[in-house]
Parts: sequence; structure tokens; C-alpha cells
Amino acid sequence: MDTLAALPLVALLVGALLELLLGRLLSPIAKGWVAFGSGLTALAGALSLVPSIAAGGAAEGILYPWDRGVPLRFHLDGLSLVFVLMATGIGTAILLYCIHYMAGEREGTTRFYALMLTFMAGLVTLVCSADLLLAYFSWEVIGLCSYFLVGFWYQDPAASDGARKVLVMTHLPGYALLAAILVLHDRTGTFLWTDPAIRQAFTGGLFFLMLVAAMAKSVIFPLHTWIPEAMNAPTPVSALLHSACYVKAGVYLVARMYSLAAWPNAWNAAVVALGCVTMLVGALYALIQVDLKRLLAFSTISQLGYILTGLGLGTGLGIAAGVFYCVAHGLFKGTLFLCAGVVQHATGTRDLRRLGGLAALLPNTTRVWLVASAAIIGVPLTNGFVAKWLLFTAALDAGQMLVVLIAWLVSIFSSFYILKATVSVFCGELPASLRDRHIQEAAPSMQVGMGILAVLCVLFGIAPQLLVDWVVAPAVRSLGFVWAGQVSWLGVPMGPVGSYGAAGAITALVALLAGPGVYGLMRRPQVEPVGLFTGGDPLPLSDSKLDAGDFAGTVEDVFRPAYRIADPDPIYLAAWGRLKALADGLDRVVTPLVEGYPLWATLAGGVVALVLMWVL
Amino acid sequence: MTANWDPTFLGLFLLLFAAVTAFATLLPPGDHRWWRLALLLAILAASGLVVGEGWTRSLLIEAAGFVAVALVWSEGTPVAARAARRFLLLLIVSAVCLAAGLLLVGTGRNQPPVVHDLLAVGLIAVGFGLKLALVPFYFWLPGVATASKPMTTLLIVGVVDVAAFLELAHLRVTHAWVIADWQGLWLALALCSMLGGALLALAQQDVKRMLAFSTIDDMGYLLVGVVAGPGIGLSGALLGALSHATMKTLLFGAVAIAEGREGHAITLNTRGLAASYPVGAAAFIMGALGMIGVPPTFGFLGRWRLYLAGVEQGGVPLLLGMVLATSLAVLYYARTIHRVWLGHSARLESVREPRLAAAVLLALMALVLLLGLFPGWLAGRLS
Repeated sequence: MDTLAALPLVALLVGALLELLLGRLLSPIAKGWVAFGSGLTALAGALSLVPSIAAGGAAEGILYPWDRGVPLRFHLDGLSLVFVLMATGIGTAILLYCIHYMAGEREGTTRFYALMLTFMAGLVTLVCSADLLLAYFSWEVIGLCSYFLVGFWYQDPAASDGARKVLVMTHLPGYALLAAILVLHDRTGTFLWTDPAIRQAFTGGLFFLMLVAAMAKSVIFPLHTWIPEAMNAPTPVSALLHSACYVKAGVYLVARMYSLAAWPNAWNAAVVALGCVTMLVGALYALIQVDLKRLLAFSTISQLGYILTGLGLGTGLGIAAGVFYCVAHGLFKGTLFLCAGVVQHATGTRDLRRLGGLAALLPNTTRVWLVASAAIIGVPLTNGFVAKWLLFTAALDAGQMLVVLIAWLVSIFSSFYILKATVSVFCGELPASLRDRHIQEAAPSMQVGMGILAVLCVLFGIAPQLLVDWVVAPAVRSLGFVWAGQVSWLGVPMGPVGSYGAAGAITALVALLAGPGVYGLMRRPQVEPVGLFTGGDPLPLSDSKLDAGDFAGTVEDVFRPAYRIADPDPIYLAAWGRLKALADGLDRVVTPLVEGYPLWATLAGGVVALVLMWVL
Repeated sequence: MTANWDPTFLGLFLLLFAAVTAFATLLPPGDHRWWRLALLLAILAASGLVVGEGWTRSLLIEAAGFVAVALVWSEGTPVAARAARRFLLLLIVSAVCLAAGLLLVGTGRNQPPVVHDLLAVGLIAVGFGLKLALVPFYFWLPGVATASKPMTTLLIVGVVDVAAFLELAHLRVTHAWVIADWQGLWLALALCSMLGGALLALAQQDVKRMLAFSTIDDMGYLLVGVVAGPGIGLSGALLGALSHATMKTLLFGAVAIAEGREGHAITLNTRGLAASYPVGAAAFIMGALGMIGVPPTFGFLGRWRLYLAGVEQGGVPLLLGMVLATSLAVLYYARTIHRVWLGHSARLESVREPRLAAAVLLALMALVLLLGLFPGWLAGRLS
């Protein structure tokens, strides 16, 4: 098993190397197939590990001696496997989608595929590294990959500015992780997180430092504002960034901290509070977006809040909910982004106000979108329902009623923004601006790429025990938690913990099944335009054609005070302004003195040195 | 006797000279005088590493510094002449300080320390402060960088500066007490250079001047490693010095290509150069990331050791100071990358990068990545 554990990483790196070596010889489509082949091999390697890891094993070994005294030592346990499967599984589906999506790019495809594969390899190395220094190394490698991929169209100022924000806002908090690792080394003499000495030395300050780094990667409030600006990347990059490889790195780090120390209640409370605020802020901002990808970006922030909340509950069921949600989010968010890519490819716009009526022209994309939308809302028969139900049950079990209320409220907001996007893009009539455009369905490989993810959303919604028993439960156990709860068909939690959850789930399911029945018994309504109900007289038909912009405006008016509080960017801008003013002031004062009077400056420096020596 | 790191640095210098030669052939930084002086500087610096420890070595490296002054003077502009005069002033003052300091050190050490020791260490601190352009002794470097062609500045920061740093590293081994007993002074100099250099770099508009301040910033980190001494600190400082010279070759090489083709100094008002010089842009980005110490570049190898040395020497406060300075470096490099290189280019006519220069930059970038991914051999040589 130990040799097999290296296969995903080796396959991805060999793929990246092949891209670089053969880049000039291969067509963009051929490069896409090479990347897909590497991803598929990596996925096969990851899947081959499932039985032994599910049985409670862990793969260990040294891949190669990296730096002096710091070998690339891997430790692949249940938690690592979740992320390896996500990176290689979702990543490979995205690579399949890329083959035709990127076929029209005239330049940069070698760079693109090499970076995509390195991106996936970076996450695999991060989650499999037993060495914290190498974990930081991988942490920054995926950071750089995302920076270069977001800035793929580097001559486009919006893409370039987005990449800059990604670099600054995620790299700087990364130093908190490095600082924590170095302080741990100073206290214990080891970089290995598997060393028992680490548990003794891991304190609240170090937890805080690592949490800050994780928050920036996983777009947790208030370090979340970079992700909407990263939307000018090619859509597969957005999909990979949101679903599998980037924001999930922070989730891994938070979960892995359970291996580093036993958490006191205050740590759990802090993580749950951050999760709740993040899910609320993300959803509020998603409501007012009129750009399809920005809406999905803010929804990622909200969904990451759910995941963090689950992990923060600190119980076996909570961790299971967090891990299941993490995988579910990867699947449905990857699907949604790929659909958004098809829409943008077909229409040339992401503006919800300029879209509509695409269901007739993009029928397969519409079906896939609807499945993923149902999943993100949490409709039964999808993995999103199971994820939410596990989370609600875990919160109830932990006595966290406030968490349940917030999560419930945010679920309603999620339904609003996803329905807004669905109706704006796929329903109604095609706008006049698009009528002359030749709009056609995505290429078959693109449909298969996103279709696979959608099928998995349903599969893990109907038979979640496949995922829970083989992947989620081993992850929970690898963090030292005993999880007695079991999940049955359709996500109904079994056992004493899940009894009330099961009752609720069955009620929801019955309601869902009753809906079509009642609809079928009724007389089919005639489709005709109606006036908009205002609480009094309906609006005249001519005025009632409201669009996503009107919806966004209304929501913005209602929640205006919340938007003022929840945007930390003005604070960052003010900090930058003060720093720049300080630097300019220092330059104005010091430079004329030092460069204008070099001898005096040297003499003064010498005197200060002598005084310092005297004092110190 | 040569130190075990001298052959590695000799290799670095030869590599750097090869790169400078390739660049200077395509983008001539001066007339035949420049070539003769550059060659003389190369021979003197390389000889300094070959002859081993002692006064001969110091004299050869000192002489290389004076040749560098002549190189700056050979630009032939009034601004260059002024910068060269300051550079000369620095060399004279630092030579006097170092000679006097080392003579005093040679006469022995007192326990407890008396004025003799204070004076010896003070003179050495000022001497090295001037040579390494530490804050507040940096007066000469920004002027030299602004007034000189990129290749001249590269020879100064990549060879003369690094050779002076190696002298300090030797001193840490041969007369350890000069630094170990006065850690507070040296760490204060290091912190001032890191934070002062980084803040001043943030205020610059001229890219070469910004790069000069980034050298001042980086020297602060190397000094932390020297203070920590043999072990993780000194090996981090030596790896850091190697990476400093390599990254500066990438950075100044990229600027040299752009300046040579554009015909004017590159400032923050220059826009979208990557459209015309993609390899130059990639080299600048890679060099910047290496200077900041971002994995997987070679720069990370020295940097993590230096941070660890910082924790060991000054605890969390020193580590925070180092991280703060690095964060400032991220800001000034990111600003330069995104204002000068990336983004929209208003240029209408097409400009091509010189192929050989681009090939040199590509080879160096590959080296920077390879050493970052497989550093065991190099780290072993410098441990």
C-alpha cells in the first residue's frame, strides 16, 4: 500500500512534466488528453487505497530526501484520503471538461495544463505530508498555482488585479502557518505532526496562527474578499479553485488540527462562530450579485461556513457532517461552475440581466445545473440534503440551537439566490441581444465532465452510505473521534443520535414526494403572464418584468446596514493607505538626510551603534 | 585555508559572470572600458575566493569594490559620477573602519569587555554596515542603482556585496565573539535593515532603486543568520546569499531587457511589459518570489532556516519582525509585478526579446526551481 500511496502524486507530476516537455509538439486538445490521462491515473491510485484506509490503515514512507534533514515523508490516513479523492476525482472531471473548453486558446495551454496538474499535486502533497514544513511548502505551491491560473489572461487588467488580490490576501496570512510551524519546531525539535511531542507543545496561540492561515485559504470572514475578484480566470480554474483544490486546503488544516491537540471548548466555539458568520455573510452577498460567477463565488463563502461549522462542533457527528459537506460541496459547486462556463462560452456573458431562456438551447446543461442547484439548496435525493441533514443533526445533538437557526436561515437565502440564477439564466425568453448569436450545447466531453459530477451528487444523495462508510467514517476515526452514528439510504441518520433527525428527514422526503403527486392530481395550469402581487393591487403587466438586478436592488435596500458592516475591504484599503503614507513619509525624511549627508549619516550611525553596545 | 562554502560561491560567481556576459553582449551596458573593468572585477572577486582566508583575500575583494566604482564612473553621466564618488567614499571609510577594527580584534579580547572591545566591534559594525548597505549606512546603493546600467548594478549587488557578506561570515567563524557577544547590536542592525529597507522600497517609483532597497532589506535577513552562527543560522545565511545573487540576476536581467529595448528607465508608470517581454516578465516574477522566499523557489531554502534562526535568537518578537518585513516585501514586489509587467499594454508595434538573453533567463528560472525542489546536495555543501 505504501508504494501505491505515491501513485497519485507521481502521476500528476509526470503529467505536468510531460506537458512542459511536449508542449510545443502537442495541440491544445492533445495536451488536454495528456492531462486527463494523468488525472485518471492519479484517481485510480487514490481509489486503490480506499479499502485499506477504510480498514483503519495508514500509508507511511519517505518519497525522496528533500532538504537536508527534511525528507518528503508522507502519512496518508482517512482524512488525507478524502482530499486526495476530491483533488483527483473532481480534478479529473474538470480536466475532461477542459479538453474542449481550452481548445480554442491560441497560447498558454501548456502553462495552463502544467499548472492545473501541479495545483492538484500540491493539494495531494499537502494532505499527505507528515512533515509540517513540507505541508507549508505545498500550501504555498497551491497558492502560487492559483495565482498564476487566476492571472492566466494576464493582459486583462481585471484578471491581473484579481490575481494580485489572491496573492496578497492568501500569501500574507500563510506566514501565520509558517510561524506556527517554526515555533513548534523550536519547542519540540521536530517538524513531524505525527510526533507525540507536538501534542504537548501545541497551544492556543499556535491554534490561532494556523486558523488565520486556514481562514484566508478557505474564504472565511473577514479574509474572504479575494475570491469574488478571482472570477476572471478560465472557468475550469474557478471550478477547481472552489470545489477541490484551493478553498479545501484550509478545511483540511482545520480538521488536521484535531490530530495536533485536544481542542478546548473555546477553540470549538471560535470556529463555530466564524463558520456561522461566514455562512451568513456569504449568502447575503450572493443574494445581491448579478454576475453568475460572482454569485457562485459568494455562495462558496457561505458553503464553506457550513463546513467550518460542522468541523467546529467538535463531535464525531459534527466532523462527519463537515467532511461529508466538504465532498458534497466539491461535487455540486464544481458542477455549477462548469455549467456557468458553458453559459459564458455560449453567450459571451455572465451578466444575469442579459441572460435568459437558455433551457431550450442548452437542454443538457440545464438538466445538470438543476441537479446541482437542487443539491446546493439541499433538496432530498441529492448529496446536499444529506450534508445539511447531517449538519443539523450534529448541531442539535451538540445542543447548538442557534447554529441550527442560522443554518436554516442561510439555507433559505441559498434557495433564493440559486433560484434567482436559475430563473435568470435558463427560464423565460432569450434576450434580444442574444437572438442573433449562434448558441449551441457544450461539446460532448464537457457534458460528460460535468455530468459525472452531477451523477455523483445524486448517487451520494440516494446512497450516501457509500461515501460515509468508505471515506467519511475513516476520516473521522483518523482524527481520534469515535462515531457510532450510521447513515442509511437517502441520508437518514440511524441510531440513537439520529432518531429525531431521521424523523425530520422522512417528513421532508414524504413532502417532496407528495408535491409531484398533488401537482399531478390538479388540473394542469395554463401558462400565461400574470401581474406581480405587491400586497395590494398587482403591478401592471408592462411593469412587472423584473430581473436579477431588481431583485438584487431590493435585497440590498433591505439589508443595507448588514452590508456596511460585513465588508472588510475598506479596512484593508485604509491600512494600505496608512502604510504607503508611512513609507512615503520615511522616504521624504530619511533619504535627503542619509543620501545628502553621507559622512554625517555614517558618523551618526556609528555613534548610535556605540550607544547601543553600551546599553545592550 | 578556504572555507567549505568558498567553492560553491566561486561557482555562483562564474555563473553570474556568464549571465552578465550574455546580457552585456546583446544589450551593451558600455564601451570597451566597461568590458575590461567587468572582467577585472570578475577576476579579483573569483581570486578572493580562491586564495583562502587572510589579508590577501580581503585586499582582493576590496580591490574588486574599487573596480566597481570605476564601472559606475564609466557610465559617463554626471549622476553616475556623483554616485561613483559616494561609492568611493563608502569604500574608503569602510576599509579604514574594517582595517582598524580587525587590527584591534587581532590584539585580543578582554573579559569583561572594555573600551578597546567596544571600539573594535563598533568599527567592524560600521565597516560591514557600509559595505552591505545596512540601514542607516545604505547611502551609496540606491544612487548607484539608479545611475548605473542594470548589469553594473547586478555586479555590485551580486558579487561585491555578496563577497563582503562572505567576509562577515568568515569573521563569524574565526572571531565568533565579535558577533556572538554583541548580538543585540547586530540584531538591531538586521531589524532596521529589514524593516527600513522594505518600507523605503515601498516608497520607490524607479524599479532599479526599488531593487536596491530590496537588497538592503535582504541583507538584514542574512545578518540574522550570521548572528545565529554555525548550524541552521549560518547555513541559512549562506543559502540566502546564494539565492540573493541568483534572484537579483533574474530581476536585473529582466529590467535590462526592458530598459535596453524601451530606451528609458523602468518605473511604476511603465505598463504591461509582459505583452512584449513574456520571458522577462516571468523572470521578474520568479526573482521576486525567490527574494520573498516563496516555495518552491530556491529562495525558500535559506529563508526558512533564517526564520528558524530568528525564533532561536530572538523568539517570537524577532520572528514577527521578520515576517512583517517579508509581508512588506510581498506588497512592494506585487505592486511592481502588477503595475509594470502584467495588465494591459498600450504598445502598438511588436517588440521581441533578445533570444539569448531570454534563454539565459529561462535556464536560470529552471535552476531556481530545480534547486528549490531538490536542494539536498546544495544544502549539504553549505551545512
